Amino acid sequence: MSTAEFGQGRGLGQDRPLADGAGTTHRAGIIDYLTTTDHKQIGLLYVFTGLAFFIISGALSLLMRAELTMPGLQFMDEATYNQLFTMHGTGMIFFFASPVVFGFANYFIPLQIGAPDVAFPRLNALTYWLALAGGLTAFSGFLTGGAAAFGWTGYVPLSDATYSPGSGANLWIIGLALSGTSGILGAVNFVTTIFTMRAPGMTMFRMPVFTWNMLVTSLLIMLTFPVLTAALAMLFIDRTFGAHFFDPAAGGSAILWQHLFWFFGHPEVYILILPFFGIVTEIIPVFSGKPIFGYRGFVFATMLIGVLSYSVWAHHMFTTGVVSNLFFAVTSLMIAIPTGVKFFNWIATMWRGRLRFDTPMLFCIGFLFMFLIGGLTGPFLASPAIDYAVHDTYYVVAHFHYVLFGGSVFAAFAGLYFWLPKMTGRLMDERLGKLHFWLVFVGINLTFFPMHVLGLEGMPRRIADYPASQGDWTMLNIVISVGSAILVLGILAFAWNVVRCIFLGRGRISGDDPWGGYSLEWATSSPPPHHNFRAIPPIRSERPVFDARHPTTPVRVKPAAVGEGLTDG
Amino acid sequence: MAEEVRFFLRTALYSAAVGLIYWSISYEVAGSVMLAFVVLATGLVVGFLTIAVRATRGELTAGAGGPATRLALTMLRTLGFVEPRTVALEEPLAAERDRFPRGSPWPLIGGAGALLAGLGLVYGPWLLLPAIAVLVLTVWGWITQFDVSS
Repeated sequence: MSTAEFGQGRGLGQDRPLADGAGTTHRAGIIDYLTTTDHKQIGLLYVFTGLAFFIISGALSLLMRAELTMPGLQFMDEATYNQLFTMHGTGMIFFFASPVVFGFANYFIPLQIGAPDVAFPRLNALTYWLALAGGLTAFSGFLTGGAAAFGWTGYVPLSDATYSPGSGANLWIIGLALSGTSGILGAVNFVTTIFTMRAPGMTMFRMPVFTWNMLVTSLLIMLTFPVLTAALAMLFIDRTFGAHFFDPAAGGSAILWQHLFWFFGHPEVYILILPFFGIVTEIIPVFSGKPIFGYRGFVFATMLIGVLSYSVWAHHMFTTGVVSNLFFAVTSLMIAIPTGVKFFNWIATMWRGRLRFDTPMLFCIGFLFMFLIGGLTGPFLASPAIDYAVHDTYYVVAHFHYVLFGGSVFAAFAGLYFWLPKMTGRLMDERLGKLHFWLVFVGINLTFFPMHVLGLEGMPRRIADYPASQGDWTMLNIVISVGSAILVLGILAFAWNVVRCIFLGRGRISGDDPWGGYSLEWATSSPPPHHNFRAIPPIRSERPVFDARHPTTPVRVKPAAVGEGLTDG
Repeated sequence: MAEEVRFFLRTALYSAAVGLIYWSISYEVAGSVMLAFVVLATGLVVGFLTIAVRATRGELTAGAGGPATRLALTMLRTLGFVEPRTVALEEPLAAERDRFPRGSPWPLIGGAGALLAGLGLVYGPWLLLPAIAVLVLTVWGWITQFDVSS
């Protein structure tokens, strides 16, 4: 195969089911998936495992909403409620969002840079099995007398052996450690793949933005996950072997846990959002009929968010009174600048474009609105004076759900509608997709917007009950529960869409490039063959497939260092 | 300078600057140490990649540079991180294609071993023994699955 052969044989426009490198077709069986080292199959495993944990963790939140709809304890006691919100947060952050990120990255980084696989395929498979083992271990606490019940932040002394006895907390620690190890190994794999396996002509500044964002995300993972793993080890040793790392009575420090946890925890938010920024940035130009506005500015904004993200950790600790509020307020507020650059780029890309409102684009536009609300409440929380007033209230819950549900989940749905046809060869149903979008869009706003009001009125988070006489709390909680029910309907529409179009095979055949995409994954079949490509178009810009489709369109050509593993941008 | 190097260099420089500011206004140990380790970690990668890039481009040849550079270069070549300049790839990893595994049971078995080890830490050493056995078996199987020399 050579780049000159692109477009001949089975290149663009050819349909075929799952195919191997020899051109024969077969369906992958269970044994294939259990022993696979193919980045695409591992990517699918990650994505569908993440979606399974999304359903489980979402079900926990519905139980919480059922309890909170009316004042009084109706369905559960406080101890059970504590387990539910702990495992809801843990599940969504560690075992839904992260696996979905890794799933997309696994599947599309090699495709986008023109590589046949990731650098370490067997290590890649190991990361998946470790992540799955971590999730099952953490959630198995429900089967052993009670899961962890101290919040996903695991603050000490609440999480020490005195206040959280039993194996549920230990299983939570081990589960997160397994998941963290998986993340570190995966990040190393991605960085190595991006640095050493790019196709000829694919310089750093011709890489798709999703791949760039995954590179920054991988850097964050490599710098912060080891800190979490170390903190978890210290907590486990405290609990199991009687050490006193976090015990102030014996010379330890409870605040040390918060420093260690949030040094990981805040970059984790960006680990969960930067890849989705990348997905949105892949989709908006395609459905606007234009290249991304300000490609380099966008990439540098991502890098700036990345480095800023690990100098803001203690804005979660303003109210402890033992951190430099000035320093962390300044660094936290600075993140608004590169994020604003990204918004400008997205809007400028759409400006005067030929917009197509297919489901992926709808979710991207929804993402812009929802993430904007979540982003705007961020600077308020980064201001210590306001944070003191709303700390640990529903205002914070509203903020991070707009960021992580309105941001990450909306972008994840956009990515699924955009890329599932590439992964499976089948298009999702557009009518069901639009129904899914509008139900989720209405549901999320009904669910999470009233939480701002509840927070400003002082309703604390993590409580199973509240007084009936307290202002309009009851009415707002009813609205929130109704909103969450609408969200469920939206998720059901999505689930039926996946089952109907993908698993039952009723979706239309997608073809190799159903959207008119720009990056290299659209230059191969859907799904791609083993080792990904039969032919790669010449790479002269960040839109190689567009260039191949429009050979007369001039592109800015920079000399590429062909043949070198590491290249100048 | 290659963009890959600049990527880590920018991170190291930012971390050094912000670490100094943080320490000077807070004297807080935990955060300062973590930022210092970010500088150290990314700085190590900068050094590693700088040598790798120069070697890949042929700027470093056998006998060139000081003893430290030669030692580092030898280590990189031994570990397989630096390829001779003469290997010009006309297509993605053309020469390596057949060396990608088509499948392996060892990641799954290794994951099961890690799970057993984790549960052993929670429920007692009796689970650690089979876990160690599985992990040792995994390492052996992993290493011997492919005969690279053939």
